[in-house]
Amino acid sequence: MSSASAFASGSARAKAPTLLGPLDDRAVTDLVCAPLLRPAGLRWWVAFLVCTVGLIATLAGIYKLFSAGVGIWGINTSVVWGYAIANYVWWIGIGNAGTLISSLLVLTRQDWRASISRFAEAMTLFAVSIAGLFPILHLGRPLYFYWLAPYPASMQVWPQWRSALVWDFWAITSYLIFSIIFWYVGVLPDFATVRDRSSGAWRKVYGLLALGWRGSARHWRHYRRLQITLAALATPLVCSVHSIVGLDFAASLMPGWREPIFPPYFVVGAMYSGFAVVVMLSIVISRGLGLQQLITARHFEAMAKVMLMSSVVMGLSYASEWFAAWYGGNRADRALLVYEFTGAYWKLYIAMLTCNIVAPQLLWFPVMRASVPVLVGVSIGILVGMWLERILIIWNTLSYSFLPSMDRIFFPTVWDWLFLFGPMFVFAWMFLLFCRVAPVVPMHDVRELLHREGAR
Amino acid sequence: MPPVIRPPSIRADQLSRRHALQLLAGGAASLATGCSEPDKNSVAQGDRTELPYVHMPEGLLPGVPQHYATALPLAGYGRGVIVTAFEGRPTKVEGNPRHPASLGATDVFAQAEVLSLYDPDRSQAIRAAGEISDWPAFASAFRARLQEHGVDKGGGLRVLTGRIASPTLLEQMAKLQKALPDLRWHVYEPTQGAEGEAARAVYGVALRLRPRLSDADTLIVFDADPLGPGPDQVANGRALADRRRRDRASARLYAAESALTLTGAFADRRITAHPDAIEAMIAALAAELGASIARPQLSSGAGEFLAAAARDLKARPDRALVLVGPSLSPTSRALGLWINDRLDGPVDAFAPDDRAPQAGTIAALADALRGGDVRTLVVLDSNPAATAPGDLGFADLMARASFRVHAGLYFDETAAASTWHAPTPHPLESWSDIASPDGAVSLVQPLIRPLWPSWSAHAILAPMAGEPDQSDYERLRAAWRGRWGTDGFEARWRKALVDGVVEDRAPEPVSRPRATLPNWTVPAPAPGFAVVFAPDPSVFDGRFANNAWLQECPQPFSKAVWGNAIEMAASDAGRLDIREGDEVEIVAEERRLSGPVRLANGLAPGVLRITLGYGRTRAGRIGNGLGINAAILRASASPWITRGAALRRVSGDGRLSPAVAGLYALPGEARKLAPELAPGAALPPPAPKPSFNTPTPTPPGDPYAWAMSIDTDACIGCNACVVACQSENNVPSVGPDQIRMGRDMHWLRIDVYDHGDGQAPRPVFQPVPCMHCETAPCEPVCPVEASVHDHEGLNVQVYNRCVGTRFCESNCPYKVRRFNFFGYADGQEYGDLGDPLVKAVNNPNVSVRARGVMEKCTYCVQRISAARRLAERETRLIAEGEVVTACQGACPTQAIRFGNLADPKSTVSVLRHDPRHYTLLEELHTRPRTTYLARVRNAGPGGSKA
Amino acid sequence: MAQLFHPYADTALRVALLGIVVSPAFLVAGGYALTRSPYVTGQTLVSPQPVPFSHEHHVGFDGLDCRYCHFGAENSRWAGLPPTEVCMTCHSQLFPHAEVLEPVRESLTKDRPIAWTRVHALPDYVYFDHSIHVAKGVGCTTCHGEVERMPLTRQATPMTMGWCLDCHRNPAPYLRAPDQVFVTAWAPPPDQKQEGLKLMRHYEIDTTHLMDCSVCHR
Repeated sequence: MSSASAFASGSARAKAPTLLGPLDDRAVTDLVCAPLLRPAGLRWWVAFLVCTVGLIATLAGIYKLFSAGVGIWGINTSVVWGYAIANYVWWIGIGNAGTLISSLLVLTRQDWRASISRFAEAMTLFAVSIAGLFPILHLGRPLYFYWLAPYPASMQVWPQWRSALVWDFWAITSYLIFSIIFWYVGVLPDFATVRDRSSGAWRKVYGLLALGWRGSARHWRHYRRLQITLAALATPLVCSVHSIVGLDFAASLMPGWREPIFPPYFVVGAMYSGFAVVVMLSIVISRGLGLQQLITARHFEAMAKVMLMSSVVMGLSYASEWFAAWYGGNRADRALLVYEFTGAYWKLYIAMLTCNIVAPQLLWFPVMRASVPVLVGVSIGILVGMWLERILIIWNTLSYSFLPSMDRIFFPTVWDWLFLFGPMFVFAWMFLLFCRVAPVVPMHDVRELLHREGAR
Repeated sequence: MPPVIRPPSIRADQLSRRHALQLLAGGAASLATGCSEPDKNSVAQGDRTELPYVHMPEGLLPGVPQHYATALPLAGYGRGVIVTAFEGRPTKVEGNPRHPASLGATDVFAQAEVLSLYDPDRSQAIRAAGEISDWPAFASAFRARLQEHGVDKGGGLRVLTGRIASPTLLEQMAKLQKALPDLRWHVYEPTQGAEGEAARAVYGVALRLRPRLSDADTLIVFDADPLGPGPDQVANGRALADRRRRDRASARLYAAESALTLTGAFADRRITAHPDAIEAMIAALAAELGASIARPQLSSGAGEFLAAAARDLKARPDRALVLVGPSLSPTSRALGLWINDRLDGPVDAFAPDDRAPQAGTIAALADALRGGDVRTLVVLDSNPAATAPGDLGFADLMARASFRVHAGLYFDETAAASTWHAPTPHPLESWSDIASPDGAVSLVQPLIRPLWPSWSAHAILAPMAGEPDQSDYERLRAAWRGRWGTDGFEARWRKALVDGVVEDRAPEPVSRPRATLPNWTVPAPAPGFAVVFAPDPSVFDGRFANNAWLQECPQPFSKAVWGNAIEMAASDAGRLDIREGDEVEIVAEERRLSGPVRLANGLAPGVLRITLGYGRTRAGRIGNGLGINAAILRASASPWITRGAALRRVSGDGRLSPAVAGLYALPGEARKLAPELAPGAALPPPAPKPSFNTPTPTPPGDPYAWAMSIDTDACIGCNACVVACQSENNVPSVGPDQIRMGRDMHWLRIDVYDHGDGQAPRPVFQPVPCMHCETAPCEPVCPVEASVHDHEGLNVQVYNRCVGTRFCESNCPYKVRRFNFFGYADGQEYGDLGDPLVKAVNNPNVSVRARGVMEKCTYCVQRISAARRLAERETRLIAEGEVVTACQGACPTQAIRFGNLADPKSTVSVLRHDPRHYTLLEELHTRPRTTYLARVRNAGPGGSKA
Repeated sequence: MAQLFHPYADTALRVALLGIVVSPAFLVAGGYALTRSPYVTGQTLVSPQPVPFSHEHHVGFDGLDCRYCHFGAENSRWAGLPPTEVCMTCHSQLFPHAEVLEPVRESLTKDRPIAWTRVHALPDYVYFDHSIHVAKGVGCTTCHGEVERMPLTRQATPMTMGWCLDCHRNPAPYLRAPDQVFVTAWAPPPDQKQEGLKLMRHYEIDTTHLMDCSVCHR
């Protein structure tokens, strides 16, 4: 994976300290635990209320969907897929980054990952669980989603193993389960720390969550071994999950979909959008929870570089798509390529290229990498661009296929928009709760890092 | 509860078959409602009530369909059909091979009749001034009125009907005329041409002239549309197609027309011209053939066209024909007859039916009404208030008659303007007889007891003529006993019922006198637009306006549904800066009609085209308020064209009916989607593609490998197959709003590609059902194996397994799959109007698909299965022709063939080796079982330009 | 510092963790059992009928042939229920005044059908055809059980798709000679294995197509 080297060189050249002193173990622990031990502030409550409204709206939307049918969306006879699939791919993509950070970066010895890994993994959990909903919402008869699972039905029929959707079913389930375990293992010692600092009922809760962790040397030895093993397991899983999502399209016959390049290109795209979200979360958390000492310019620097690298890879992927379309000489592929730039959605396509390829080039300049507004802007751009990419993959191919009589344009309805934005509030809602109950930064990792840096 | 049980009719026939309505209700109802959620499986749910008969109807075995021959009227003429009924519930109409107007095929309207039968909007009661009343009340009032007229011998009593081709009804009419000599009978048929007077002008006597299209090498149509919707469509289509099959190179069809018609699309050489120009061309042709008339000036294009046509005419005059359409001037039509006479081409002349008393026109009736000498008006099966030419203002005039009776299938505009309304039975509910355009008579027998109390035209006329009150059944038998005599009557009667045609009733051609050349003068070109009218391919003259199947059946070229529009040439629109969808107003002789504009290909500049039958206000819940009523602009003098019309843009828009697709001019390479060949030419064999997996040979298909072959050179684009498929396979209608969202349900669509340009189109129709690919892209992507292959090569869709991922449709290069975004089939507004009665139209052998399920063409697997079960019970193989798909059965030109590819002698196997054979999207290696034969265009020398 | 939990907390926790791991297996097993249980399949279920009709009496004692009432079995998809007149052919003489037969007489006099309750109901999207099964040597009792021993008719077999497929996959064990199809007391002969294969050849049964979805669903 080309990214690994990029990380390596990144850390080698980096002179900026990962953590801002003066810090000692106690200080770190205090910093991280403080938010959990003090009552929530006004800002938190306001945000929480807003998100709750969004959550309720989303649930209402789901109710309407199940009672009225997928016809409430803008999908039509030719463009039978719509926002649901795009949103699904988009959320899975976001869900990729967390585990990626704490597996790949662990294996590639990226110290700086320590302070961001925890909430990045949480982000993964929430994003993947939301993503996992969409395939079910997308179904014409969601009642029977379980037919994708192999079980000894009295009908004696089984899933269709050649279908990428079945692979998806497995990829998502296993990835979700794994992410939960991985995250929980990571947070275990910190729960113990919080347990020892909290009181009353919470003490029991954290006690339960800590599974009786005592921090003995034996505990730590087992713990480290488990963590590194999981990390090793995670890496292929992270790559597989989005490769398979890519196969949903690649394993087809349609121009613009049957692209061998899709799996790797989807993985990079996933990392891309994932890091964009992590950047924004880092900013929110470091400001909101006063962790500027733990989440520093060094982190943003590194993440900016990752995004920059990804944008270049994305650019290459697009270019190779275009080249393949031309070089392959297939009439349908070429026609589609023309359609992408001149057809019904050409404005969106240009916008997508701008967001994903052009804008991130700002990050070549250290000044830009250091500027929070620029980072936020670029990140939002990337998220918009990546969503556009997914919806355009669907729209362009389905709106403009082999027989002109079935060329039809997609017109989104209000419900499409609800299902696009609603889940974002659900995500924020879950994340806000997470900030209140779990240490957002892995204290033990940071302390260790502190010592190593101190030793330097 | 059984959907089809209704209170029995007062005059219910006593044939035991009619008792079939008290059928295994639970069974039939549940089968009719068909597939719902799989959990119906558990005993907890589902209605398990099972109702057996009390008395078993003769010859009925529950579960085994019955077939009865009858005839369905269109514009007064009959088309023979064979109707399938399940336990006395008619569900499907097929053609009757023995009937000359059917030859085993049907048109689109016949296919949709079963839906009209179960239309809950049909009139269900006698109405007095709109209020529900009953037969005794009407009978007494009517009788009283008739007694008044009895005194004055029927003076002031008028009867208005559509064209009547029923011998028995004509006899009744004659009786009536005898009983009341001063009674006047008027006939108005909105889609009637004007052949009569043209013949009189040329031959001096009234003759019915019928061209034998199958014998014509060269056929030239001037604004005539023999392939257009109408009672002759099926026979004409078959004749032309047969002629082409016989020897393509010598068969050439020229069309000069002001608007693109099905005939124009079928033509080998077509030219778009203004009606004035066409009249000139006819004159020029006549002059060419030695008529002593001034040869008018022609444009270069028209000149070339005519020269070529004349050349062919002269080559084989005895095998040449000229047809002149009703929109042209009477003199031009007369010239047309003269030319045919001069050529001595294949035209038969028949003596007009003299049994019938002479009938007046609707214009005469209007005058009489205006003059106030009509006190009683009886309107039978006709809707003049909506369809009469606008210059008569008939709806208002009707009020001049103090006693107005309307009998019809619907409580329509005329019924609303009448003092009394009586519902008539649907043709599938009635006993009668009817003649086809060429005079072949069929008996009309009911397949179901009338769903509501109703009174046929026979029953209304009988009391007027003082005939004894008897059932239509008895009356009909009496009438035929009169014609046949009593000995051997029963046998003949049964035979006539079984055959669907009464033998020895087809009239013999008569010899005709020499034609005299009508005096012809150059018509003065009128300023402004010429508005031409045509029967609508979906609702005809409006009588089918409340039929959702027909409303949703795409127009041949524009593919528009659920309404008509003011069709306009792009050049005119550009000149007047009008865009498609703009609201415009047409003013012709202070008659005004405003509606949305639709740009049409092949329409001559200066010509506007509007189809009839829309703008209904009392059609029913389906048909109300759709489109615009062209009749407003029609003039009784020249009903098919209104000259000197002014057009201006007005405010308001958005009323343009939606279209499911378009007409596609093909750029370069894509022409291979619907190739066009010269006669005898062959398509190049597909270039072998370098591939790592060598394509596997066709699976043997043990012993069956079903396949379909579609001849685009025979397809006339009549849509019969589309609605036949809908009727056979319980395909729901979705309504205009869903169409606007880009959703439709037709399993079989007809793509139309244009090899010419907008001004001179050369359309090719390409019916596209499921291709049943041997390597189907839809199959591997379905996660639950709802889309799978069976061992006979069918790509089957298992509805009850489908979870609705829609991956199959995404991955289908032909986009032939259809998704139930909502529960279209059940409860939806356009599905069954929420009325359980409409469910009775469903084919019990096909699942009704639930919401969220994907569906598609199955090659009528239910018919294959039925044939297989029959064959296996007799331990033999299915023979060629035993399985006929719905689309194949309906096709008037036999363009669609279906059969067993594993049998090297089967038609489909043979056609696979035809030089015209091609596969749609060959390069994808989907290896479709549905393949095509290329369109042939026999343009002749210099024709390629036209 | 003070202990947060009792000593047994560990055990409880371990059990809980174990539960999380094994519960899915139990769910599947439970579902498996449930979907095959009479509760779901309706097997052995006796539905209330307007007339307590006894196959035991009519078939077992009187020895009526199945086709006397179920006239469609050989030629139609549906075996069919007897019209009232068929019942009354006998019962106008036999037990003409019996209380239990009142609904039947009423049906005839009032010309109203008797509202039976279906015992063997397949979902609407399953297109079962009696005639072909009968023609190919599948006996009545193979699916409907020993009706001549049923005072009240009950569903004798699960009628699940799997159950259908078992026979479609390998009909041999169930096939009978043509003259045995309507014999209610039929029991497979000891050499049914060879007999079945012989019969498959005799009936020309080709199982390749029998497993196609399109055989039953359309």
